[in-house]
Amino acid sequence: MKKKILSLLLAAVMAVSLAACGGSSAATQAKEEPAAAEAADSTAAEKKDVKDLVIAEVHYSVVEDGGWAQAMHEGLLRACDELGVDTEKNLLTVENIAEEDTALVESTVDTLVDSGADIIFGCSAGYATIFAEIQPKYPDVIFAQQGNDVYDNIVEMQIRGYEGEFLAGYLCALMNEESDQLGFEASMDEASVRTALNAYALGAKYANPNATVQVIWADSWYDLDIEAANAEALINNGIKYMGMEASSPAVPQKCEEKGAYCIGYNIDMEANAPGAVLTSFCWNWTPIMKDIIQKTADGTIKISDNYYEGGECSKLAPFNDALVPAEIQDKVNELKSKLESGEVVVYAGELKDDKGNVLVAEGETMDDEVILAQEFFVDNVIGGKN
Amino acid sequence: MSLITALLAGAIMYAVSVLYAGIGETFTERAGIMNLGIEGIMLMGAVTGCLTALKTQSLALSMLAVMLVGAVFGLVFAFLTVTLQSDQTVCGMAILVFGSALSGYLGKNIASTPINLKFQAVKIPLLGDIPFIGEIFFNQNILVYIMYIILPLSVFYIYKTRWGLKLRALGENPAVLDAAGENVFAMRYAYIIFGTVMMAISGAFVSLAHTNVWQDEMTAGKGWIAFALVAFAAWNPAKLALGALLFGFISNLGSNLQIYLPQIPSEIYAMMPYLVTIIVFIVSTGSFRNKRTDQPAMLAKPYNREDR
Repeated sequence: MKKKILSLLLAAVMAVSLAACGGSSAATQAKEEPAAAEAADSTAAEKKDVKDLVIAEVHYSVVEDGGWAQAMHEGLLRACDELGVDTEKNLLTVENIAEEDTALVESTVDTLVDSGADIIFGCSAGYATIFAEIQPKYPDVIFAQQGNDVYDNIVEMQIRGYEGEFLAGYLCALMNEESDQLGFEASMDEASVRTALNAYALGAKYANPNATVQVIWADSWYDLDIEAANAEALINNGIKYMGMEASSPAVPQKCEEKGAYCIGYNIDMEANAPGAVLTSFCWNWTPIMKDIIQKTADGTIKISDNYYEGGECSKLAPFNDALVPAEIQDKVNELKSKLESGEVVVYAGELKDDKGNVLVAEGETMDDEVILAQEFFVDNVIGGKN
Repeated sequence: MSLITALLAGAIMYAVSVLYAGIGETFTERAGIMNLGIEGIMLMGAVTGCLTALKTQSLALSMLAVMLVGAVFGLVFAFLTVTLQSDQTVCGMAILVFGSALSGYLGKNIASTPINLKFQAVKIPLLGDIPFIGEIFFNQNILVYIMYIILPLSVFYIYKTRWGLKLRALGENPAVLDAAGENVFAMRYAYIIFGTVMMAISGAFVSLAHTNVWQDEMTAGKGWIAFALVAFAAWNPAKLALGALLFGFISNLGSNLQIYLPQIPSEIYAMMPYLVTIIVFIVSTGSFRNKRTDQPAMLAKPYNREDR
């Protein structure tokens, strides 16, 4: 009997400490701000000081994931810093909220609103449906959701990631003087991944009309072993430069080990493999988030707004000066300004897919809806799925 | 490096990353205890390795810390399952969830921070120069070389020594050992702790040999693969190594076949390791073989002296 009680006690202790660990960030940061909550009640669409706003972010993983969530979290931190928002006091970060667990997402939103949140950033596309459903319950709260323009009652935000990937492909093709063959490491076969791959291939083609991109799939969002094995397979096939849409530093490290080069993804990966990472494609959410926060404070935000931004939002990390010659850096920067001025358009005709169909006719450009939901592979991609 | 050497060298890296945990679990289960918490303990090993490496800049100290953390988890698990005789499935799951959450918490501030040291591949003089074999087997990191020693030793220990005989008896019929004057409880403690130390090393292998960073949940199911391989290998470390190699080889195969056989969808390659697992399971343990299973008879059953 004594033993049973003791084991129950131990289990209880474990459960409590587990809860303490898992929920620590939410528990410590999501403390109630009565002053801010009152402010939210009294002034709905009125102008208020941006420093009084309570901003919340909801993530599907931890924010230090070395990838997507980290890029969003850091983007928000920078936006808050630039606006003078006290992130210790007025930023509520909630992690590990599974998108498919609608009850959990809903109760998280309830808690955040109770804690005075004026803006809730949904940092993964999966929250959109639930946010759109909950929004009428909290008309004073601005729901800003990463995703495509689908709902009228939430602010949606998306980055034209293809611009940065286009530059990355251009850079690799310029570096790859001895061959026409480039590589690309893809995770899952999904529209956003295709977008990255196609833009990379188009960028390569812009530098070298004969450039081809051999893609290799991990069929997983995160798998160190497969990602490393895929990189090795590309290298063994004579590929020296590769882009990637993968989350772990396994690819850069394999490249470094085997004397190949790559473009980091999500965040600046140069420190992970200084001998292999030329630059990294980075999501920069700061300009978008900053705008949403400022407009919420000014009372000028429209909940049907939709952001789809390129330029500074879809940027490359600083070049690795030891690996990328200055003249190539200049060329990439030049192309970057041409993209920004609209002189060069990534998805412009004539554009063919890998089966020879014409996607965009000469002189025309692709519509955003088609870009967002890409179901094709451009003609210089080898190994695209059917 | 040719395709086949690359495939085999990759298979070895993969195999060793699950073999430490697998051998640990084999010994634990041979002792009659089922530890389901492998993944959690691996994650604790992975995060401890990175934290210590960042602080001390020493791989030796890191491994020491990793083993220590493994031992602490083993001690807790042994106390729960041997002394308190709690349900091993429940305790294993508790350790699993606890370990993965605690590792995420401890690693919060160092997540994705590269550590400037890792277990690099070291070529063994002479042996490493043998064509083909040398490239595959003797151009690896030190944890792989240690596994080359541990593996035959563990087979020898289980099947050829007096201690191994007692270990097998421990899982089959602990009452006999108890009657013979052996300390069943102390032995089970020792094997559980040995097991968790090995699991922690597996985790450190992922964070310090595969890469040089900590990322949340980075073992990504390796603990479960190790757990499945133990039964798959009929609690025999030699077969375990073969299973791990096979699994590693097939998962690496997809990468290369995508380039050589592009007409086959890559999802087929992604599911091959699991398909092969199922087939081998059916062939090796299917009831149509009608042979005695190698599963320790008292696996997952607490030993209580007073039960007769």
